Amino acid sequence: MNFVLNLSFSDLLLLLPEIFLTCWLCVVITVDFVSPRLPKERLAYLSVGGLLATLGCLAWFDVNQVSGTLFGNMFVLDRMAIFFKIFILGSTTLVILASIEYVDRFTLFRGEYYALVVMSALGMMFMASANDLLSVFVSLEFSTLGFYILVSYLRDDLASNEAGLKFFILGVFAAGLFAYGISLVYGETGKLVFSDMASAPATPGLIIGFLLIFAALGFKIGAVPFHSWIPDTYHGAPTPVTAFLSIAPKGAALAILLRIFIVALGTFKPTWIYLLVVVSIVSMTYGNIVAIAQRNIKRLLAYSGIAQIGNVLIGLAAGTKMGNDAILFYLLAYLFANIGAFAVVIAVSQAIGRDEIEDYRGLGRRSPFLAFSMLLFLLSLAGVPPLAGFIGKLYIFIAAIKEGLYTLITVGLINIVISMYYYLIVVKQMYINEPIDPSPISIRGHMKAVIYVGLAGTLVIGIYPQPFTDWVVAATLMFANFVTPAATITPPTLLIGS
Amino acid sequence: MLEELTAVFPILSCILFLPVVGAIVLWFVDDEDTVRSSTLTIALVELALSVFVLLRFVPESAAMQFAERVQWIPALGISYHLAVDGISVLFVGLTAFLTVLVVVYSWDTIRHQVKLYMMCLLALETTTMGVFLSLDLILFFVFWELMLIPSYFMIKLWGGGAERHYAALKFVIYTLLGSVFMLVGIALLDINYHQWASLHHSDHAYSFDLLELLTVPIPIGQQILIFWLMFLGFAFKAPVFPFHTWLPDALLEGPIGMAVVLAGLKLGTFGFIRFSIPLLPDASKSDTVVMVVVVLGLCAILYGAWMALVQSDFRRLLAYSSVSHLGFVVVGLFALNYQGLQGSLLTMINLGFSTAGLFFIAGFLYSRQQTTQLAAFGGMARQVPLLATFFLIIGLASIGLPGTNGFVGEFLILLGAFEAKWWVGSVAVLGVIFGAAYFLWYYERSMLGPLGSAVKSTMSDLQLREMVIAVSLSIMILWIGLYPSPFLRIMNGSVQALVDRLHQEKTAALDNSVTEGR
Repeated sequence: MNFVLNLSFSDLLLLLPEIFLTCWLCVVITVDFVSPRLPKERLAYLSVGGLLATLGCLAWFDVNQVSGTLFGNMFVLDRMAIFFKIFILGSTTLVILASIEYVDRFTLFRGEYYALVVMSALGMMFMASANDLLSVFVSLEFSTLGFYILVSYLRDDLASNEAGLKFFILGVFAAGLFAYGISLVYGETGKLVFSDMASAPATPGLIIGFLLIFAALGFKIGAVPFHSWIPDTYHGAPTPVTAFLSIAPKGAALAILLRIFIVALGTFKPTWIYLLVVVSIVSMTYGNIVAIAQRNIKRLLAYSGIAQIGNVLIGLAAGTKMGNDAILFYLLAYLFANIGAFAVVIAVSQAIGRDEIEDYRGLGRRSPFLAFSMLLFLLSLAGVPPLAGFIGKLYIFIAAIKEGLYTLITVGLINIVISMYYYLIVVKQMYINEPIDPSPISIRGHMKAVIYVGLAGTLVIGIYPQPFTDWVVAATLMFANFVTPAATITPPTLLIGS
Repeated sequence: MLEELTAVFPILSCILFLPVVGAIVLWFVDDEDTVRSSTLTIALVELALSVFVLLRFVPESAAMQFAERVQWIPALGISYHLAVDGISVLFVGLTAFLTVLVVVYSWDTIRHQVKLYMMCLLALETTTMGVFLSLDLILFFVFWELMLIPSYFMIKLWGGGAERHYAALKFVIYTLLGSVFMLVGIALLDINYHQWASLHHSDHAYSFDLLELLTVPIPIGQQILIFWLMFLGFAFKAPVFPFHTWLPDALLEGPIGMAVVLAGLKLGTFGFIRFSIPLLPDASKSDTVVMVVVVLGLCAILYGAWMALVQSDFRRLLAYSSVSHLGFVVVGLFALNYQGLQGSLLTMINLGFSTAGLFFIAGFLYSRQQTTQLAAFGGMARQVPLLATFFLIIGLASIGLPGTNGFVGEFLILLGAFEAKWWVGSVAVLGVIFGAAYFLWYYERSMLGPLGSAVKSTMSDLQLREMVIAVSLSIMILWIGLYPSPFLRIMNGSVQALVDRLHQEKTAALDNSVTEGR
């Protein structure tokens, strides 16, 4: 491959969101450095401002259908990349808003916290655009680096340190697997860009290489059997970081998985479908069954997240355009419900100082707003109509039934029933049990804003999903060519650049 | 005139959303008496709207009336489609009627968290209405599932029994288990429509609309699979024997208001006549399906009646008698002839008056003795003559005495069953005898004879509110019993259309296989 850097100004426009956010990141660090007496809250608002501006820019890209590739196909900006970037930045914004109070618990480096969050988001934006194995590797490590620090941010807390260490060791191990996988794939095909690999014959080396890459990405999304870090890390990490970790990296890694499985490996669908079916079934069942036994709400949400990823993989296993639409839609529903649920967890832990499920006793009396929001978020995660989660599950199941994946669907549906059981355990604590300490819980404005956004998303997507289905259908339009059994590859339409 | 009216005024949407909007408004009301009276107002307005629909409904017609249709999620072919026909319109009236009575009953029997209770009740009314009004299968499913949430809270928060937590969870998990299978069935219907549509008129449309799904032929193997999937959903909810084990728990542990709605509105069997039989006619009349379902129905009749015979708790007795009555309904439905279907439909309505009425009676007894155990009663007719009288009237309706509504429905079912298969009819008749036995035996031991030792001497007879409930139920019971033709006229057209569809579908399916063979 020929790495001749030949950039024009219009090419750089494709990178505008990333460049802008990088500059903004520097501004945030500098402001923190220059005026250390500035309330850290201001830094949060500053970061949110930058993120919102970037979101605006991405929305403009999406409306005007800006697309193109850079650096010899390493970086691609298409509507799916834009979708995932909006997804990542949206969750980052909400996470920053939800962490403003929590940051007071950190003993040191409160200002850098926001910079690190934005930095991880930046890494994930590159992941959404990564179109070859090297850029995937670099951007993946870039974003994970920020998370290594964030997870162990509570310096004096043993659990947080343990979480950081576990996350780091397993993360580095996954990175090693990934690098090894890349070397095998490159050795077999001589190609790094996904779309170039599409016609490669299936040699044992290539298969092992892709399995290693799948394992590394499975680690990022937390699918069984690569989930072992999730419960302890989610439990120990500062709660806003847990919320961040449970949403944004999963979205970014799914963007890569979609590109690999549909673009690079689309022709091998009859083979990889078994892998995905097994991983999906095991993730759903394991996540849901183990969640029943949890006593800590963060661990419960961790296991429920594993199960939710199992659901998402159903859509990937379907391997059709509709399956991909369903994944994107499901992620949207998951974003709002999960961020909302974690916001409630943060608000409760600010008031009570603990995260055990039994601490939610009588929350319905102490704060009707928090309890009702939590109820809706949990019901959406469980897939109760007419909330967003229901439409998401329906979308995924229809896509899978169309492909005749009946076993997968049956397991998925039984898992809905299992998941309802443990979500109801939390509901029971909130509404049925009497509170021990009946004092009301107060919530601050930005926390309320996050919960309101979560509620609005959960309800609007559930009741009026049409604009969102239109959006995801448009976002995966590029896959329309790859899903037919005889995959014919046409490059995406280029408006700007190359 | 009617079309013009419904074009400008979406009355079914009003019926559907009025209660839930009312529930939201209640959130902002603090005074408990205001909460009660505004709930009653909402329920009465809802009843008035439903009666209006019933009056303007054109009888003897199979058409879908007052239809409203808007695209909801075009990408998946989901629409917001409401309409009533002869099958569903009576249930709309029944739901509104029972909700008014439940509000009246709960006036002074619910003492804590009144506001939340009334909100749950109104939310439950909306979801129930949604089940009866929806013509889109996903919309139907949405309401079907949503119903679990207010029910769960009602059983848990206002249930009287010690086991109510267990009962609520069991109820939710059982129903959910059934409905996830139903969802697969619904999705398969959608995929079948999609395949057929892309073969025939090349637009790759999806649809969950009942009326559109009815136009598409379904291969018989597929039909049988979908039938069993949907059967599970409806059977768990109905509940059809042997899926009934949640019902006695839920009815015993839950509040009376909840029990009235759960036992009075036969949602599960409504699902059969609304969706399973018309959509899957070939499966519904295939020998194995009819055999299995009818045998389950007969088992339910006998098992339910037999279990009811040995219960000492009145609410448990009613739960098992519900199982038995549902057996009748199922047998009538799967006789698949005009009398059977009509009888089943009428019986579903009747049970809304009689079973629900007996639950109210159980509630009256409960508020006097704080239990419904037989040991607490005995010879009460002397102390509470009015209660005993209405208990007898409603009870006789439930066992199907001529002159009450129960007789008309059960008679039609037995007629249909005998016409279909003589042995089915003869086994079902046994159920009638058992039914008379368990009710009369219980009545005799609780109301007649010497005064029981546990009966309080200060017991008061029916209060004004209780009288309102008992009298209005008795009026409906005698009206349908003595002059059922207005009700039968409403359902005739739709039932006839359903029977026609069952009998011509075979030829249509054959034609289709011929064309596909070419």
